[in-house]
Amino acid sequence: MPHIISRTPRMAQGGRPSCLPAGKNTASSVTRVIVKTPGKQEDFMIADDTSVRQFKEKLSAHFKCQVDQLVLVFMGRLLKDHDILSQRGILDGHTIHLVIKSKHSSRSLAHSSRKPSTDEPCHQDKNTKGNSSGVHQPAGANHSPVESAVSAEPGVPRMHTQGLEVLSLERIAQILENPGIQQLLSNTDFMRRLISEHPDMQQLMQQNPEVSHIFDDSDVLWQTLELARNLAVIQEILQIQQPAQNLEHPSDPQSHVGSETTRGEDKALSQNSADFNDQMLSSSHDPFGGNLFTALLGGQVPEPVQSSPPSPPPPQEWQEQLPQLPTARVIYASSRDLSSTASASATPSKANQTSRANTAASSTYGWSHTCDVEQLTGSPALPSIELTQQPQAEDKDATTSLDSSDQKLEDDLRLLDEQTGSQIAGSMTQVLLNNPSLAAQMMLCMSMPQLSEQWRQQLPALPQQTQLSDMLTALANPKTSQAILQIEQGLQLLATEAPVLLPWVAPYLWGLGWLPAPSCSYPDTVPGAWDVPDMEEPKGPESCHKSGTVLQSLQSRDGDPSHLLQAPEIRFSKQMESLHAMGFGNHQANLQALIAT
Amino acid sequence: MEPPNLYPVKLYVYDLSKGLARRLSPIMLGKQLEGIWHTSIVVHKDEFFFGSGGISSCPPGGTLLGPPDSVVDVGSTEVTEEIFLEYLSSLGESLFRGEAYNLFEHNCNTFSNEVAQFLTGRKIPSYITDLPSEVLSTTSGACSL
Repeated sequence: MPHIISRTPRMAQGGRPSCLPAGKNTASSVTRVIVKTPGKQEDFMIADDTSVRQFKEKLSAHFKCQVDQLVLVFMGRLLKDHDILSQRGILDGHTIHLVIKSKHSSRSLAHSSRKPSTDEPCHQDKNTKGNSSGVHQPAGANHSPVESAVSAEPGVPRMHTQGLEVLSLERIAQILENPGIQQLLSNTDFMRRLISEHPDMQQLMQQNPEVSHIFDDSDVLWQTLELARNLAVIQEILQIQQPAQNLEHPSDPQSHVGSETTRGEDKALSQNSADFNDQMLSSSHDPFGGNLFTALLGGQVPEPVQSSPPSPPPPQEWQEQLPQLPTARVIYASSRDLSSTASASATPSKANQTSRANTAASSTYGWSHTCDVEQLTGSPALPSIELTQQPQAEDKDATTSLDSSDQKLEDDLRLLDEQTGSQIAGSMTQVLLNNPSLAAQMMLCMSMPQLSEQWRQQLPALPQQTQLSDMLTALANPKTSQAILQIEQGLQLLATEAPVLLPWVAPYLWGLGWLPAPSCSYPDTVPGAWDVPDMEEPKGPESCHKSGTVLQSLQSRDGDPSHLLQAPEIRFSKQMESLHAMGFGNHQANLQALIAT
Repeated sequence: MEPPNLYPVKLYVYDLSKGLARRLSPIMLGKQLEGIWHTSIVVHKDEFFFGSGGISSCPPGGTLLGPPDSVVDVGSTEVTEEIFLEYLSSLGESLFRGEAYNLFEHNCNTFSNEVAQFLTGRKIPSYITDLPSEVLSTTSGACSL
């Protein structure tokens, strides 16, 4: 082929522009062009009169591909086959870019290859929140990994005409935005335990041993947790559920979403779950959401299914999917309940008991109460609406410290109450009640990350009482947690600096309601607090717990558990004597120094 | 024969320091830098850039950086979107993988330069590509690495 020319000394003169026809035959006939492909470049020598077509043939032999796959670009212009290279202005030393198209290159492929090529790098930084965009806007969202992070779902849930449920979702969305709750939800261990402890979950675990496998698989758990935060997915599921819902309890004010699932839905659900299940196993984000939440909302299904023999036995895969149902269900319940309890924020409108008002008024913090969330839990048949309005008035004064959040939430609460249903709240609090350590962990995660370690050790035996939900709601108030933090810090400081003063602080604590008055004498209570989980004095043990917590932690740190509160003088008496003997007369200073060591 | 379509190619330039570099660089480096430049190529109504996650794209101005601080017109290209995306995917597998990112040697501006040359034959302004060497040439810049 005439245009394949090997290097010769003539190349040295090849620097002349080869398109000039002036009698430089030797120099003008050969051009060195650089062909650049992604990742590498090579030199090629070509004759001036080479056409693009011929050049492509040469290249195809070199790169071992078909001529049709080659695309040559020079200065942004596509080189057509009939062009002559020199006529396009390709001179010596110029660079021609080469793109080798894939074999099946076509318009349809362009779109499909477009997605992976741009989307996979785009999704390198996983967006845990923005995935719903993939659900709702598959076309546009793929290109905006960053945007999806920015436009995290929260309050965006599309306003459908589903009425109250949507509003509740928004509430939940806002609540879930609370970093405390998010942190809580992120705590896989905690959520795992929470799920395990849920009574329904345990029931299911008995029936389906495979359920436990779910918890072992952290991946599944994590995805489930992400689901709980992905409200848009919840909404989608709701949409799916809506038409399928058989309104067994049409007038039930506490209609829990999904509680109306019937046998008729089983098959639909099973189909959905079957589809979703595969996707879940392939660990994709969005479709997975569909799975568990479908399952979740159909979480009631297993029970009625089993209780109704005539219904056709669920297909085998449905059985296998059962384990996933309660997981999601519990998570959903948990997340909703978190929102419900958090949003309740001690607003009595949720509580519908009058006694709350009185007790709540006595404490500025949610810690010491008598709040009988027991009523909350014990009466799942809470007729939410009527009662909510009732206690609102009387409890207004009770929630002095929580006013700010109250105002915001009150309007939503009524609607929220209808939706979330006391069942969820009840079950949630029940779970927490049964597992004080779990509740402790939850509270830790929510409000006091700094003290979490310390508290975990110190709160093994939280009162079984129902103050928990009150605590939770109070904790949802950031100001509350800040205040508690400050108190804790103050106590710590005091304990380190002058532990002898702690008994003197007790009166102040009493005033705050932390310590019950004389019935709980300070030093005695501290060691004994841990053994007293009973509820005779709801205030007492709790507050003693709290103060005891601080003290105990300090005690353990100091390594002198029993004598800290005893007069340090006694402890240091010997050292004090020796100090005196050495000439240090200042009694107080000596004491301080000894304490500090 | 139909005239080929020409697609405009723009270079979006962002100053990551938001003006601080201009003010502080004389003090910190001993020489004047106008900015810490991050660039991306905008063509076919999409913005393409290179980061530690590989080659990414988004709607123009759609990154967290917001709108660009300046826009440079690189030229126009006949390269269609289809061909361009093929090109990008092969780049992403060869030269511009995510792990290949190097803040000084092989960064977003390297990528923008490469793509600009592919699309138009022109390079991006030199003040952008010279930034790493500018910084490295100062003793404090080199020491801070």
